[in-house]
Amino acid sequence: MAEFSWEVRSPLERALVAGPFGTRGDAGVSLTEIRNFDLIQVMARRSKAAHMAEAAKGRFGVPAPDTPRAVDAADATLIWSGPDQFLVLSKSGKHAIEALGQAFAASASLSDQSHARVLISVSGTKARTMLAKLSSIDLHPDAFSIGAAAATSIDHTSVTLWRGTDGPDGQAVFNLLVLATFAESLWHTMLDAAAEYGVAIAHSEA
Amino acid sequence: MVGGPQTHRLSNGGLIDRSAPLSFRFDGKTYVGFQGDTLASALVANGVKLVGRSFKYHRPRGILTAGSEEPNALVELRSGARREPNTKATTAELYEGLEVASQNRWPSLRHDFMAVNQLFAPIFVAGFYYKTFMWPAKFWEAIYEPAIRRAAGLGRAAGVADPDHYDKAWAHCDVLIAGSGPAGLAAALAAGRSGARIILCEEDFALGGRLLADGGTIDGRPAAEWISRTLAELGSMPDVRIMTRTTLFGVYDGGTYGAIERVNDHLPSPPEHQVRQRLWRIVAKRCVVAAGSIERPIVFAGNDTPGVMMASAMRTYVTRYAATPGKRIALFTNNEDGWRTVEAALGAGLQVAAVIDARPDVSPAHRSLASKSGFTVLHGSVSSVEGGKDGVRKIAVLLTGGARAEVEADGLAVSGGWNPAVGLTSYHRGRPKWRDDIAAFVPDGAPPGMVAVGAANGAFGLGACLREGFEAGAAAASDAGRNGNAGAAPVAEDEAFSLTPLWRVAGKGKAFVDQQHDITASDVELAQREGFESVEHLKRYTTLGMATDQGKTSNIAGLAIMAAVSGKSIPETGTTIYRPPYVPIAIGAFAGHHRDEAFHATRLTPSHHWAAEQGAVFVDTGLWKRAQWYPRAGEKDWLESVTREVKSVRGGVGFCDVSTLGKIDVHGADAGAFLDRVYINTFSNLAVGKARYGLMLREDGLVYDDGTTSRLAEDHYFLTTTTAKAGPVMQHLEFCRQVLFPELDVQLTSVSDQWAQFSIAGPKTRDVLKEIVDPAEDLSNEGFPFMGARKVALRGGIRARLFRISFSGEMAFEISVPARYGEALVRNLMQAGKQFGVTPYGTEALGVMRVEKGHVAGPELNGTTTASDLGLGKMMSTKKDFIGRVMAGREALIAPDRQVVVGIKPTDKVRRLRSGAHIIPKGQTPGPDNDQGYVTSVCFSPTLDQWIGLGLVERGRERIGEIVRAHDPLRGEEYDVELCNPVFYDPDGGRQRG
Repeated sequence: MAEFSWEVRSPLERALVAGPFGTRGDAGVSLTEIRNFDLIQVMARRSKAAHMAEAAKGRFGVPAPDTPRAVDAADATLIWSGPDQFLVLSKSGKHAIEALGQAFAASASLSDQSHARVLISVSGTKARTMLAKLSSIDLHPDAFSIGAAAATSIDHTSVTLWRGTDGPDGQAVFNLLVLATFAESLWHTMLDAAAEYGVAIAHSEA
Repeated sequence: MVGGPQTHRLSNGGLIDRSAPLSFRFDGKTYVGFQGDTLASALVANGVKLVGRSFKYHRPRGILTAGSEEPNALVELRSGARREPNTKATTAELYEGLEVASQNRWPSLRHDFMAVNQLFAPIFVAGFYYKTFMWPAKFWEAIYEPAIRRAAGLGRAAGVADPDHYDKAWAHCDVLIAGSGPAGLAAALAAGRSGARIILCEEDFALGGRLLADGGTIDGRPAAEWISRTLAELGSMPDVRIMTRTTLFGVYDGGTYGAIERVNDHLPSPPEHQVRQRLWRIVAKRCVVAAGSIERPIVFAGNDTPGVMMASAMRTYVTRYAATPGKRIALFTNNEDGWRTVEAALGAGLQVAAVIDARPDVSPAHRSLASKSGFTVLHGSVSSVEGGKDGVRKIAVLLTGGARAEVEADGLAVSGGWNPAVGLTSYHRGRPKWRDDIAAFVPDGAPPGMVAVGAANGAFGLGACLREGFEAGAAAASDAGRNGNAGAAPVAEDEAFSLTPLWRVAGKGKAFVDQQHDITASDVELAQREGFESVEHLKRYTTLGMATDQGKTSNIAGLAIMAAVSGKSIPETGTTIYRPPYVPIAIGAFAGHHRDEAFHATRLTPSHHWAAEQGAVFVDTGLWKRAQWYPRAGEKDWLESVTREVKSVRGGVGFCDVSTLGKIDVHGADAGAFLDRVYINTFSNLAVGKARYGLMLREDGLVYDDGTTSRLAEDHYFLTTTTAKAGPVMQHLEFCRQVLFPELDVQLTSVSDQWAQFSIAGPKTRDVLKEIVDPAEDLSNEGFPFMGARKVALRGGIRARLFRISFSGEMAFEISVPARYGEALVRNLMQAGKQFGVTPYGTEALGVMRVEKGHVAGPELNGTTTASDLGLGKMMSTKKDFIGRVMAGREALIAPDRQVVVGIKPTDKVRRLRSGAHIIPKGQTPGPDNDQGYVTSVCFSPTLDQWIGLGLVERGRERIGEIVRAHDPLRGEEYDVELCNPVFYDPDGGRQRG
């Protein structure tokens, strides 16, 4: 019998062309798709929110956010997604759904969203200017500090947006989780918004 | 051809760059202006007086103003796809190579055939459309409207798609400031020093407002110095954004403002990757409106003659642009400010013929200026102007006391006083209040968080503008929580103010109120006589103030004349409602990125790119693109492809991407109880590893949505919805969870995007699946019976979910894998199924098979049908409560004569059945009384080799076998059809269970 290969394919695999885009010269915006992550929705069972928070602390060493923020743990990012719920973003399978099941068995329901979203990181000197075309959220450093997060919409598409730690160049980094089936459409919208500033497009597999 | 000398340009002065000449063409003739010119100032500098023809009467018109209030000087800019009609020459920035054409004239501006309209002037009076084109009604579209459009109107649209891009952006600030005149800059200075985040919008390309033309002394130094010092200070602040070429046009809820930035209108075409215009939505904690004021005309006969110009505009052309609208000018004023134009004109070496001042007295200083400069001061009013397309020749003056005089001049500056720009402050239904001392309306309050200052607030003195602006800027910053030291306010003296209201001078000849819409003073009087006395009626009956300038120079004069003829005061007469936008906004700017393919967001299924490779034809279903069918070489039309796909499934095996269905994880100890409440049937008793079809009602008892739901664990159900209702059902369930049943332990997550899901159908389904599923999995009828649902391992290591459900009526499974494996799954299915002739099929074949099988879908789940109408009434549990149960029992919803789902087929087997055809009893006349329902879904059934359909027909289930008429007036068809069992194919369901 034939063997089958099960290659994963990002929803952006065809639309994303690594390299420069738009106005030539120094890119004002960097767009990087981060591939191959685990993303688990954790939702407290009824009246088990405190229990869930405890379990999260035990598992990740940091308290899960209870306001719209993203909290970096040693090997995961916990992103608030609503009252008594958060997302666990991690790499390399350590916090995949099977691994988390036990930690939250008594306190929370888990839903795997690893394939339901695309993760895009936006940075560069013009990142805020470009994002201002897409998002109604005030991204001024005073209003949207490192770790600030928002469940919002961009281009009529549901998006989770948060500010990560600044890049090595000192520039702010904004991360967007977008629903997978909307990703290509939003990607084109983002390119359209960024083109005038010059774009450096990349993706990271690891 | 190189343009001639700029005959009306001063040799020095002005904010123009003489080292940067720009050539442009107006009606085919080449002229030269300078960097820093507007199109209007460049035309003035070249002695061009005639710029356009008026809307109704095709009267020659020139340039009246120097700003966005301009009613007359409307032109077409550019050519080809970038042709832009109705642009104000007074706001268009000059650039090298600008092409301009005048509008509304034929064959040429100087010899306009349609000027004959003036002879018919008596019919173009107020309400002329209503009076003239009443009968017969059918003439309107065919004759009247096209004729009127040819004769009257403005510029021509490009007629082809706009090649440029537009976009939209958000901005946020503590203090938003509209206007960069003395009040606006002072507000910015105070707010900025206080530490506020500021956005300042200025519609001009240069900052300074009236200071650019009027100058003045601020803090003991020339105004220009103060402007550059202030801009330098603002520029050193980190959070001050100054946006030129940007008009604040609207005020919306919650401190949101609309602004349009003309990013690249001043260039021949936007640089690559740049937009032409950008629409801004600005969220501001506070807003300071320093939008200035608009000088108002006085209405007299011939006041539309080219060369009659607002006094402030004339001195703007002279001082800011060093361009002289006339060689020998006169001034007609009723106020002190108008005299500044005389000073400017004298300073530029122009002759002043006379000043006609309507006030009882003139200051000694002005008197001595007159005698020193050798012009006369006439006490009285201009009663008419003689002139034509070459401009003003002679001015007739009615002197106080009744005597008459004449003044020879080639330009007339007019000042009737100033109207504060009350638009922005009135956009939340604010009604400005009247102030007798300045004879003008001023803001009476403003939308929350907004305040008007300076001239926009009726404070016309330079000192007052600076003072009010600075105080408001500091207060706005403080209200926004920024309390830094604002320092000292800039200081200037206030000019003398004196005004005697004068709106209209009686005289012979047309005296225009609204020059853009050609509304005269007598039109206003006629409207009053005919009973249209309310300003809102006046506006609509005469169209006064309804042109692209929105009556900025005409509304107040119009209502003042109405007040006079109706014997009321101006405040009693009142103003019309102010509505945004303040200036016309291109539709392209509102659309932004959302045009053509990007009109709305698009959703792509996991197999989309594979399907595209196969040459699939896609159909838009909501936001989705779905493969509709997969044409093959040699197939002549869609029907042939679809028929092949159906036959392949029914006779072998095929698959279809059904990932668009809504998918929801329902978790929690009470998940089953929760589903019992939202579905009409029971799910708490569903065994783990099984799927069940469920139907939801709305609160009103009508059907909401359907789908299969599987139980994957004790506390985990996997619910599916229709494609169309995926979002709404998720919202509905969240509402049920959070609001209706908070006591239940239930968690919901949309997993629509997590899973790639495919239906594999046909008698050879198992053969294909066996290739791909781990051999350890039992897919036999016993090991995986109909309506089974469980996780399985696939060959090669990944996990999938398998559901034995069938929409096609065939032996079928739905298989789902995490979405990024979706494309691999399709390719593997093609590989594994090759030996069995596996065929991808699209939504058309899916639809054919569901109609053959009598399954209801969107056309039947249409928001008007009950469970019983759909033949699913028996599913309604009597042992539990559920949403919609009580309301579903209402009399009309259980009436025996309801229209219910039934099968329909033409008695003539070769006839095509069409959806939408109405069902009429045989022998009766079609009409509402005999209408018994309609055909909802149709298909050509390859299985039955004829067109078949489903319909909603009165008492349909009791009438199986009856022959009725299908009446289709839309297509002009009428034919016999038979009502039949809706399950055309395999009615006992043996195939799907086998």
